Amino acid sequence: MKQSQPQTSTNWELGPILRAMLRNKVGAILIALQIAITMTIIVNSVYIIVERNKDMQRDSGIDNENSFYLTSVGFGENFNVPNTVEEDLTMLRALPGVIDAIQTNAVPNSNSGWSMGLKTQSGVEHDAVGTAVYMVDDHGVNALDVEIIAGENFAPSDISLRTVGQVDWPNKTIITKAMAENLFPDINYADVVGKTVYINDIDPMVVVGIIDKLQAPWVNWSNVENVMLSPERQSFKGSRYFIRTEPGMRDTLMNQVEELLANSNNQRLIKGMRSIEETRERSYRGHTAMIKILTTVMVILTIVTALGIVGLASFSVNQRKKQIGTRRALGATQGTIIRYFMFENFLISSIGVLLGAVLTVILNVILVNAFGLDRLDWFYIPIGMLVLWLVGQAAVFGPAKKAANIPPALATRTV
Amino acid sequence: MFNYYIKLAFKSFKRNPILSLLMVTAIALGIGASMTTITVNYLMSANPIPHKSEQLFHIQVDSWDPNNPFNDDDDALPNQLTWTDATNLTHAKKALRQSAMSMSGAIIEPQGSESKPFEASIRLAYTDFFAMFDVPFLYGGPWDNNSDSNREQVVVLSKRTNESVFGGENSIGKDIVIAGRHFQVVGVIDTWEVMPKFYDVNNGPFNETEELFMPFSLKEDLELPNWGNNSCWKSPDGEGYAAFLRSECINTQMWVELPNAQAEADYLDFLNNYVRSQKELGRFPRPLHNRLNDVMEWMERQEVVEEDAKMMMWLSFMFLLVCLLNTIGLLLAKFTGKSSEIGLRLAVGASKADVFKQHIVETACIGLVGGVAGLGLTLVGLQGIKSLYGDFVDDLATLDASMIVVALVIALVSSIAAGLYPTWRACNISPASQLKNQ
Amino acid sequence: MLKMTDVKKVFRTDLVETHALKDFNLQVGEGDFVAVTGPSGSGKTTFLNIAGLLETFDGGTYELDGQDVSNLNDKHRSQLRNEKIGFIFQGFNLIPDLNLFDNVDVPLRYRGFNSAERKKRIENSLEMVGLAQRMKHLPSQLSGGQQQRVAIARALAGEPRFLLADEPTGNLDTKMANSVMELLKTINDAGTTIIMVTHDADLAKQARRNIYVRDGQVSEL
Repeated sequence: MKQSQPQTSTNWELGPILRAMLRNKVGAILIALQIAITMTIIVNSVYIIVERNKDMQRDSGIDNENSFYLTSVGFGENFNVPNTVEEDLTMLRALPGVIDAIQTNAVPNSNSGWSMGLKTQSGVEHDAVGTAVYMVDDHGVNALDVEIIAGENFAPSDISLRTVGQVDWPNKTIITKAMAENLFPDINYADVVGKTVYINDIDPMVVVGIIDKLQAPWVNWSNVENVMLSPERQSFKGSRYFIRTEPGMRDTLMNQVEELLANSNNQRLIKGMRSIEETRERSYRGHTAMIKILTTVMVILTIVTALGIVGLASFSVNQRKKQIGTRRALGATQGTIIRYFMFENFLISSIGVLLGAVLTVILNVILVNAFGLDRLDWFYIPIGMLVLWLVGQAAVFGPAKKAANIPPALATRTV
Repeated sequence: MFNYYIKLAFKSFKRNPILSLLMVTAIALGIGASMTTITVNYLMSANPIPHKSEQLFHIQVDSWDPNNPFNDDDDALPNQLTWTDATNLTHAKKALRQSAMSMSGAIIEPQGSESKPFEASIRLAYTDFFAMFDVPFLYGGPWDNNSDSNREQVVVLSKRTNESVFGGENSIGKDIVIAGRHFQVVGVIDTWEVMPKFYDVNNGPFNETEELFMPFSLKEDLELPNWGNNSCWKSPDGEGYAAFLRSECINTQMWVELPNAQAEADYLDFLNNYVRSQKELGRFPRPLHNRLNDVMEWMERQEVVEEDAKMMMWLSFMFLLVCLLNTIGLLLAKFTGKSSEIGLRLAVGASKADVFKQHIVETACIGLVGGVAGLGLTLVGLQGIKSLYGDFVDDLATLDASMIVVALVIALVSSIAAGLYPTWRACNISPASQLKNQ
Repeated sequence: MLKMTDVKKVFRTDLVETHALKDFNLQVGEGDFVAVTGPSGSGKTTFLNIAGLLETFDGGTYELDGQDVSNLNDKHRSQLRNEKIGFIFQGFNLIPDLNLFDNVDVPLRYRGFNSAERKKRIENSLEMVGLAQRMKHLPSQLSGGQQQRVAIARALAGEPRFLLADEPTGNLDTKMANSVMELLKTINDAGTTIIMVTHDADLAKQARRNIYVRDGQVSEL
């Protein structure tokens, strides 16, 4: 008689499990499909979440935490805009805690503003590069917390006054590094200083300075860093003031400024007082909402799929009680039984995640075509596969443990 | 017999409470997720003026840059008109009703010291606006044609404006100071929220209707600011507000009412002729291309339904699919567990059809319970949407009767569909094999 | 070969204690063929479960093949079952989803034989029970007697020292029962020790030795 032979490497029972599975295709297919679709949804959702998060994390260029803005609308016959703006700004800049204040036509990330096209050559036939326009005076760079990385700031004497319906533009501009590189892709951004660009097809403006970074009002615009500063104050009925404060002073100053401005002139009303933080929160609300919804969907979906696996596995353990008892009687250890169910699930999950990989790519292609999303980075797929594998293994562990506790004596019981 | 099946369904429910609960939960989650997104999409794409949406047309004319189309899409036409064209077309009166319109705003200074001045949004339009869009009036009515042509300072107030300025009383004939001028109130409209706000979708399709309505012709006199979108392909010829109005910048919407196909064809002819005559004046440098869009075509073209909403709807359908696969698996497990009972029933003379009916009823019960629970989850989901997106979706996140029916139908149909295969399997159990081993 | 001394087994529920085995003493020598009879509830099956290491017991000692197995852990007992004991059950206990080949394969897999060795043993044992031609069939395609022969092939494939049979012919008609009994005698003649639990006195008579269990104790006939 042969005594216990040298144990070969752990025996996974691949063949018998597969053959048994083929006789119970439907259950296995159902789980595999669930895993595949769950993976498809989860991977694409995670990808969307990551992309949206990236958008939200982009540097706006301004001091998000310590800036706010408001609009002063004049009414009444005697309201003089330029004088009021001059008085207001003088007062605001003198306020303790205010770093700087400007009048501007638009506010970064607020989703409303002006855009123009700049050209490197004069004439209607040349292509223009779209850009957001912020009209600011010589305090603009300081108030917006941007850095001049080449050239220089506007001088006080550069600042002109824009009237309603005015068509022409000042002859100087400061543009962002991104804008400089889009206009002149072949030269170093620093060398763009001194170049002439054309607005309204033919009106020349000389680039006097380059700033590091500043975002346009429209957060979903693909060229969100294309920005130009124009040295102007505006004599519009509604004047927007943008104020940057010392850290921690914003909220106090918001109240204080509202009161000061309202009391200084009864020919106007103050509206739209809002911090940049709140503005960004509003502009990105769609993103935030999408992220939260997708996260919820992913969590629930994972739970549903896991519960489905637990349910079907428990059922199959119950169905196979006698068989498990017999296997135990024939010499299977508890570990062997656990391994059997885990491996069975692993095989089903493998089919699921392979199918899931294909479906994930298909859904991504559909999303790319229908909704203009970017193509999925490849590494999301293996990570997704791994996660679903783990979910499957975790879900089946409980039922497998239960199976292992079925006593071998069950084999001799006639149920 | 049906009642007996219902009774059996609940017995079976009780015997396997965890499995049954899992199925109900899965269906409820799937229905909840889908119904939440379906509701939002349904309300976003709702017909705001169903009884005449096919007689109202938004006009598009290609007045754009000779070198570049309005946008990259070949078929794209400018989404608004110039002040000049909208005014000319309205004055031509070639449609049953017509109105150029745009959005503006001004300060209202209520008389009497207790109320402070406030800023109000204005819809500038012609008198036809009210009849064309069936605007309901609380007091008074629209201004007349003469007010349009004589540029009279008359105004129609929204119900809310009337409340804040006149305390909600009948204010017809009263004086109100807007943008520093004296206006006479001619009408107060009743609550009128169109969803989507189809007549001006490119300035916020889900925004509220304006607080004031006044003759479009006053825009020029009062130099009212442009609150909506303004796009230009060439800068105005000359300085000042008048030059801006007469520029090639587009900032005006134009709607006409055309009662039938003949009127529609005639109007398009007229429109083409108008553009030809403008071409002779050196305008409209692009090829002749004009279009009339009825309300729903316009909503579609302007992509009023948010892409995120559509995307979430498709994802939620996939979610429902996973939940249904889950249910199929669990039903299969449940029915297989019952095979001895089924064998017994077959052995004592039940037909396959009986067994089939019994189990379809059982599945439908699970689906119905899941559907009702799903409706509850839909309410939770819609509440979640409201809290995530803020006030502007309030009207987009409400459940109406038809949506409730849709939810229950989807729950029932999908659960029965999920139950078909497990039921079929249950019916095909051989009676003998099941009795032997008991 | 098998030696049980004062083995006790108590089943406890909240209300009652049942003494399934009371000071159970039995010795079985190598190559013996013992038939165990007794009324139902006498402790036959408990004895078989303990003998087959399917269950633990509460007192006394049990030596199997010279080894004290009273206090082995679950894993060791599994290994011993696998190596030394073959089981034949009343209900055959074939795995319905596996064909005959895979059914016989089950204990060999746990033993850790390589695939060539397993194949050889499966074919040999199925050959021995006369079912080598039906290797790819499912259990449901066989008659009861054929199924029990497959179960015997499965029990023998690992070449155990012991064969424990629990009512091996209980679900079979007389003709099939006789053929299974003949098979068992052949196996016993080849040197395998057999312990068979049965309630059928005629069947028991065909064994070399008969013991009778009553109230959890042995009374040899």
